[in-house]
Parts: sequence; C-alpha cells; structure tokens
Amino acid sequence: MTVAIPCIQSSGVTCVLVVSNIDLTTNLPTMKPSTFLGSSIKDFTLNINNDYRYLKTGYYVSLHAEILGNPVIPPSENIIDAYRTPILLLKASKAGIPTLPYIVTDSVKQIISQFDFPVVVFAVNPFSYDGFRIAKNRSALYRAVKSLGISYKFAVCAQPLIGEMISFKSIFGKCDQAEVIKEIARKVYMVFRIPICKLHVQRVGEKAYLCGFQPLKREELLPADLRMISEEIFQISKNGEFFIG
Amino acid sequence: MVNSSLARIACFVEKYNFPEPEEHMALNNFKMAAENMGHDFNFLFRENLLEISKYDAVFIRATTDPLYTAYIVSKTAWELGLNVIDDPKSIQICGNKIHQYALFRKHNVPHIPTIFLNKDEFHHKRILEIFEIFGRPVVIKAPYTSFSRYVEKVACESSFRDVAKRFFKRSDVLAVQKFMPTAFDWRVGVLNSEVLYVCKYMVPKGRWKHGAKRKGKPSFVWGRTIALKRENAPVALKETALQACEVVGHGLYGVDIKEVDGNYVVVEVNDNPSIYAGYEDLRSKDLYGKIIEYLVN
Repeated sequence: MTVAIPCIQSSGVTCVLVVSNIDLTTNLPTMKPSTFLGSSIKDFTLNINNDYRYLKTGYYVSLHAEILGNPVIPPSENIIDAYRTPILLLKASKAGIPTLPYIVTDSVKQIISQFDFPVVVFAVNPFSYDGFRIAKNRSALYRAVKSLGISYKFAVCAQPLIGEMISFKSIFGKCDQAEVIKEIARKVYMVFRIPICKLHVQRVGEKAYLCGFQPLKREELLPADLRMISEEIFQISKNGEFFIG
Repeated sequence: MVNSSLARIACFVEKYNFPEPEEHMALNNFKMAAENMGHDFNFLFRENLLEISKYDAVFIRATTDPLYTAYIVSKTAWELGLNVIDDPKSIQICGNKIHQYALFRKHNVPHIPTIFLNKDEFHHKRILEIFEIFGRPVVIKAPYTSFSRYVEKVACESSFRDVAKRFFKRSDVLAVQKFMPTAFDWRVGVLNSEVLYVCKYMVPKGRWKHGAKRKGKPSFVWGRTIALKRENAPVALKETALQACEVVGHGLYGVDIKEVDGNYVVVEVNDNPSIYAGYEDLRSKDLYGKIIEYLVN
C-alpha cells in the first residue's frame, strides 16, 4: 500500500514533525528525541537519527510515533528487520534487490559445507552491530564465528565472498557510488525507509549485491552530509514523501 | 492456511530447552499430540534453519527477543508465508515492555502504574519525583526482561542509579513501576483470544517475585506453580487477561496478573510462555492438542 503524507497546509507545505538527534541546517523546526518521547503531538513524523538500532532512542522515537497513530519514517518494524542481517537479505531479495545466498548458523562445518572460501560473516547477536569479518581459511572462520557468535552462544550469518566489499553511507537512499550500487541504496531505502545508514555491498564486475546494514557513528556525518539531510527534509516538507505503509 | 490433514511442523528449540526434564517432557507431549493428529513434528535447531521453507508451520519454544535467533526464525517463517507461533509482531510487542505498556496505556488495559524513564531524564530531580509518585520502593524493569530477570526493586537514590545505569547499557528507555507485593501472580495462558490454562505462580518465602536470584549465585529459586481448572478461575481475571492479549495479537501468550484489593492489574503479557509438564498443563491436559490445532489451521 502506498500512502502519502496526509496533511498539506494551505501554503502547500506538508506538516512534518522532524525529530532529530543531529544538528541540521534546515530552517524547519526540529524537536529533540527526549522532548518528543514526552509529548503527544500528532503529525507525520520524520525521525532523523544516526543510529536507529533496536532499544536505542532512534527506535523509541519511531515506536512512540506509531503508538500515537502518526505515520512515521522509519517504521519500528523495519528498524528491527534491517539490522538483522538474515531478515534484511530476505526482505531485500523479495523486493528484487540482488543478494547472495546466506546461512544462519553457529557451525563452522556447516558454513564450509555450503560455501567455498573466502566467506564474509556478520553477527546475529544482541551486542554486535558494526562491521563484518572476512574469513579466507578454516582457522580464520573459526575465529570469526567464535568472536561474532560470542563463543558460539549466538548464531552468525555467513555469505560467500565473490567480489569486493564496499561500505558506504546512504542518506535517504542516496550515495556517492557507482550506478549499480546507487540503485541498491535507492531500493533499500524504498523497502526499509531508514533515512541514514551504512550499507555493505559486494561489487562483482558490473553487478552488486547487498550484504549488510549498520548504523552510522555521529562523527561519520560530515558537514556535506548534514546539508544533504537538511535538503532532503526540505524537499519532503515541500513535495511530500510517499512511503510504503 | 496449511493443509491441516497432514502438516509438517517445525519446532524451533535451543540446546537449553532440554536439560529441565519437565520442559523436555512438555516438548515430547507437543510431538505426541501432533503425531496423534497425523502431522509430522520435527525439532529444528540452529544448524537446520535452511530447512524452514520445507515446513508448513513453525512453533518456537526458545527464548524470543527481536535480537535473538528465534526472531530470525519467526520472521523468516512469516515472510515465507508459514503459520508461526510466536509471530514476529507478538515478539516485537512482548519482547519490549515499553512497547507493551504504551499499548496498555493507549487501550486502557488495567496494568501496574508505570513511568517511562529515558536516559535524558536520568537525574536527581526526576528520581525524587518518581519516589514521590510511587513511594518506596519502586521496581525498575528493563524492557527486555524475561524469566524474572532484569527486574529489580530499589528503595533509595543510589540503588536506583546503580540499577538504572546497568539497564541503560542496552536500552535507552526503562520502565519504573509501583511496587505491589502479592503472595502470587496469576498466570493465564491464552491462545487466539481463548483461555487455555490458569495457574498461580507463587512467590518464594521472603522474596517478592516468582523467580528470584540466589544471593551470590547465578542460579534462581522459583516459587511453586499451582494449576487450576480454567472454568474455576475468576471470570474477571480471565476477562482482564483476554483484554490485555487483544492489544498484542492472536497467538499464544502467558499473561501475568496481580490481584490487588479485588482488582486485577496486568503485570505483563509474555509470548512464548513456559509450558512445563506437570505444571501449566496439570489441569489443562488438552493444551498441547489445542496449540497444534491452532498452528495448522
């Protein structure tokens, strides 16, 4: 279902409540997350945060907006799903975004039986959220699974490494990369609607495959990024934003 | 809907599900109930997750939390169109008590008086305000609590700070609740908006919750479980349980309820409720068959 921002003022400007933990350059009024969490403002909510992880403030802002009945970007369910690599890949692949095969397991033997080396390993546990490990041989894989699985207590998500890993910032689905990667960033934003994130992609010749997703550290957002975020917010408030409800 | 004449059911479990004989026996009871109804019932471990798509339905019996493997299993099954208990939405709501209490508040479900505390409000003045509102002690609850863990009682500012600081490491918002001591909590098992079983979870002597950590040890001491026939349980209790589940979903839940001055107040709704042979099922032997039937229809 496609839903538009519901409220258009007589001036033609859409009512957007911008809740942000980042100092933006926009002239639109913004609200601090802690203020919003104590409020009951009913408006389309644009939640701007460098880190939307589950249980963090960025997540609670979206959740609070939903409880109030506000349309919100990003939705809380998408936040949970995007940061869980196997669900990210499953939903992405259903939406036509190129992905590679993956397995969720705590068994090194099973990974070896499925994929040739090298493999790329992502954590699937409550504590690790940044980066990945590349294992080029069996002993490196044991180390990666032990470390990312916190001594085999949790599973990991393994994918074959057939190209070059590229990690980059995506802001409202836009990035400074080759066309094939730009297309992935755009589609990931269309599916998950998470305005600010880092994406991990494998580039294999002319093709690219989505591999992982993680939050940005605040210091990774440069002045040019802040200008871009502000410009996107301005455009949304001016023209409206269509999102998947 | 799956072909209920012969469904293939995967029961996702973790290794820790088997050491307790009562839980092991309950898992076997589910298997027997399914097989007696003509279905295939296989245990699915982490090593076999690739096989999810071969099944018609998935029944999760491992600890659920959006950050655990069980959520990956639930969401994968859901995205593939399989029937699943616990479904991802239920895990999202039950796995985060802030989410749950916000829904209770919105839909007027009677629940323990609760204040949300976010990191930015964690200061002397706010702590004193909370003590002023609820009196002392108060209960601090991490949103990801399960099996009585991450729920602590505090009576002074320094304990409040110690506990909250620990819980804030994982969540930026905590629940602070009025302390309401009772000799037991009701546990009402609910499946698809119907009461499945009713128990009393007794509080061990000298403690204030059903499961309490032994001093200086990692192990827990648990209170007794007293099962009742569901028809003998108070009507208002069952209505309160169903009202609470209505805002969560239509899956399988265990609702904890306190009885205070003749009123029922919801403590929380748990997805993936404990089902141990000889405990929750003692007066409701049909619960295994009912859950399997719901899963395949």
